[in-house]
Amino acid sequence: MKNPYLPTPMKVEKNVIETGDRNIKTLTLSFLNNKDEEIFNFIPGQFVELSVLGAGEAPFGIASSPMEKKHIDFTISKVGLVTAQLHNLEPGDTVGMRGPLGNGYPIELLRNKNIFIIGGGFGFSTLRAFTNFMLHPDNRKHYGDITVVYGARNPGLLLYKNELSEWEQRNDIQLHVTVDKGDESWKGKTGVVPVIVKELSIDAENTTTLVCGPPVMIKFTLPVLAELGLAPQQTYLSLEMKMKCGIGKCGRCNIGSKYVCTDGPVFSLAQLNKLPQEY
Amino acid sequence: MDYKTIKKSEITEFLDNLIKEYEIAAPIEKDDIVVFDKIKSSNGVILEYSNSVKSPKKFVIPQFETLISYNTNEDTTNVKEHLDEQKQFILFGARPCDARSFLFLDKVFSDEKNRDIYYKNRRDVVLIISLGCTQPQETCFCTTTGGGPFSSEGSDLLLVDIGDDYIIQVITDKGAELVKKLGLKNAQKDELAEMDRVIKKSEAKIEPDLELNNLKDKLDNSFDGSDWETLTEKCLSCGVCTYLCPTCHCFDIVDEEKNRKGERIRIWDSCQFPHFTMQASGFNPRPTYKERYRQRIMHKFSYCIDNYNMVGCVGCGRCISECPVNLDIRQVLTSLYYSMLSGRT
Amino acid sequence: MADLSSSIREEAKKLLKKGEADVIIGFEKGSLPLCATPCFIRNEADVEKLIWNEFCGNNLSRYLIKAKGKVGIIAKGCDTRAIVELIKEKQVQREQIVIIGVPCEGMVDRKQIMMRCQGNKITNVEDRDERLLITGDLLNVAVKKDECLYPGCQVCTNRNPVMYDVLIGSTSEEQQTDEFTDVTNFDGKSSEERWEYITHEISKCIRCYACRNACPLCYCKECFVDTTQPQWVGKTTGQTDTLLFHIMRSIHLAGRCVECGACERACPVTVDIRKLNRKMSADVKKLFDYKTGLDIDQPAPLSTFKPDDSEEFMLDI
Repeated sequence: MKNPYLPTPMKVEKNVIETGDRNIKTLTLSFLNNKDEEIFNFIPGQFVELSVLGAGEAPFGIASSPMEKKHIDFTISKVGLVTAQLHNLEPGDTVGMRGPLGNGYPIELLRNKNIFIIGGGFGFSTLRAFTNFMLHPDNRKHYGDITVVYGARNPGLLLYKNELSEWEQRNDIQLHVTVDKGDESWKGKTGVVPVIVKELSIDAENTTTLVCGPPVMIKFTLPVLAELGLAPQQTYLSLEMKMKCGIGKCGRCNIGSKYVCTDGPVFSLAQLNKLPQEY
Repeated sequence: MDYKTIKKSEITEFLDNLIKEYEIAAPIEKDDIVVFDKIKSSNGVILEYSNSVKSPKKFVIPQFETLISYNTNEDTTNVKEHLDEQKQFILFGARPCDARSFLFLDKVFSDEKNRDIYYKNRRDVVLIISLGCTQPQETCFCTTTGGGPFSSEGSDLLLVDIGDDYIIQVITDKGAELVKKLGLKNAQKDELAEMDRVIKKSEAKIEPDLELNNLKDKLDNSFDGSDWETLTEKCLSCGVCTYLCPTCHCFDIVDEEKNRKGERIRIWDSCQFPHFTMQASGFNPRPTYKERYRQRIMHKFSYCIDNYNMVGCVGCGRCISECPVNLDIRQVLTSLYYSMLSGRT
Repeated sequence: MADLSSSIREEAKKLLKKGEADVIIGFEKGSLPLCATPCFIRNEADVEKLIWNEFCGNNLSRYLIKAKGKVGIIAKGCDTRAIVELIKEKQVQREQIVIIGVPCEGMVDRKQIMMRCQGNKITNVEDRDERLLITGDLLNVAVKKDECLYPGCQVCTNRNPVMYDVLIGSTSEEQQTDEFTDVTNFDGKSSEERWEYITHEISKCIRCYACRNACPLCYCKECFVDTTQPQWVGKTTGQTDTLLFHIMRSIHLAGRCVECGACERACPVTVDIRKLNRKMSADVKKLFDYKTGLDIDQPAPLSTFKPDDSEEFMLDI
């Protein structure tokens, strides 16, 4: 029988600083054992528990697309004990991984829809995974228009800058990158995410929205989406809670009777509206 | 169902025989309180007791256990699973409420999709011989939560005290096998009649307080009600209720390391502690006593019904008798139940 | 025990009526026999709930820090000692509270009586001055109250409130006991015996933190056992972790513990938590000639420096 608490050994390929404040890094891992790699399948929006032996485990959304074989990315903000240890890892180091966990984005339901992605801060990581998944030549045809709004507090805090430039060049994705506050070199949009979202014209009927970001962004973005005519069933959010087991047993990540680790982390707004406001 | 009988005076011999073959835990008095502990002989086992202070859940979910251990050399790390082989284990003299709690824990830990292998390892060897309650306490409310002083749910064998003898109700195949091995006598008609009388008498002493299905609806509607604040004002936010509870099962996982050797440990945790849900950023979705106590009640009486189709409470009353401030879960439930009835939220 | 309930109700009513208190923290009848429970009274109509008897053991000053507005509080001797410390440590403002002092005759330990009842259900408790008459289906016992007092109450020498705005009833006679005999006896043992005693007590602990959470002086926003960065103490119930928790807590309470026994009463598994705290109190008494919670103007010994402070611990090797 499989032991759900046993981590799979992973090798650190890269650990790259993403942001000007050096507080967010993207960690690239590969499997140490081929057998583990063969059985590891995930969908964008799922997460894993990463562990540094001696420091403990913490949950992280997978930031790379499942279409990219051989490596898996995680974007990690340094906030606690485990994340500090993960930041210290160097290429060649070993790290433990349990997963994939959670439900992920409803990729089947999203087929043939226009996709509206709204991300803020480092909550953008799994949305980046899903965007890359859609942009893959094998998948692009399954989705309609792709619109991405991505915001950070300042230009230095924007993630995946090279990738954003690449997306900018493409004509099959509408990218709107914004910062709350620009600097001298910033040429792009300035303004918080909900304000930018409000300016867009969205074909509400055929569009599904995926939102992930800090609570304040979500709070002000949801009413704007409603104004744009997007129904709660068309809006999906990816949530964060403190987690330990990741498999619905340890009892701390529930919102009402739903566990974020097993029933989520992705919920439709229609689902969330039925749950207590305790997140 | 098969009914066997055994003289009370033969119980010590019965236990001493079982000890030869099984690990046995039974109620004993230790440091002025009754606890379930593994025993080496029948000496000191007490069967005239209300209930243990700590629940017997510790035999399937110990307060802390090592999940994996590891040691790091120059460039290799060896990780070891800690799944020790378990000896066949008999939990003797548990109360029916506690026996039922194992059924609840099974639902949490033995679900098809994410079976908890550590729990299963311990649980698979457990046989429960429970002892029906002829003297329900003022803190008992098992009938409210779907059980009863002689409920057989979760037990393999159930003892009923009929004076000089115990009737042994044979509940499961596992129990039948054990009884067969021990060659116990069949119960006589008059003994069975006495058993029925004892059971009825005891059941009459604890009538259910509330209707559970209605309670769930009312709780779901009361989530944002102002009652929670007043009801929890005296709560100390300690872990007595959760740690003594036979169904509370929340846990933490932590690493401990010394000299490049370490262990990943699973430890009981409590939803009453502020750190339980505190995120690394400092944000806490359940910041005060109110949210945390509400979580405990909602989890047991609403969320568990949604998720496991069973109430997460067996009515053992430990949280009532041991709460340092007498925050009585029955009063909380009835108060919410009736304030909802009158439409006041 | 004289029935002081009605005087308490009157006083509470007066305070609420005049607006001198927004809330009265007192006791009401508990849900179990032999039990009273903390309550918060905000309306005059509810003052009838207030009671006073030998089961009012909780130290209500525990609730002062959280309380909002002007608070009237029912306080025994030990409770007032805690209030003195809380004021000294600037956790509570004197002007914000009205202390309704109640002389105490020692509080009765429900669990000791339950033990005597041997698991039989209690149906009725009758108060007959010095005795309690307890009856049940298979039960009929008379218990002398002063034989079932909490251990802390048995050696208490401050049964009367040390500070109050109103005093209910008349003062009790203070017990003339050598209050630290238990510690002296303990000190007389060999270090092996003491180690064995303490480690045995600690082995019962389940880390529920009821002791800490019931303690009026354990008000730290984040307790050292809960911090994760750095993590000072492991979370298991192994000997090292548990012992470290109790010793560190005890040291943190040195010169601050008012010996109310709230920790011990709250403990569900009979850990003798008071032993360590009493030892600290005895040491503080010996080293600094200081008894906690008696005088609002007397500075705390461990947060002040005097040139003639005892330094023996620095020289003792």
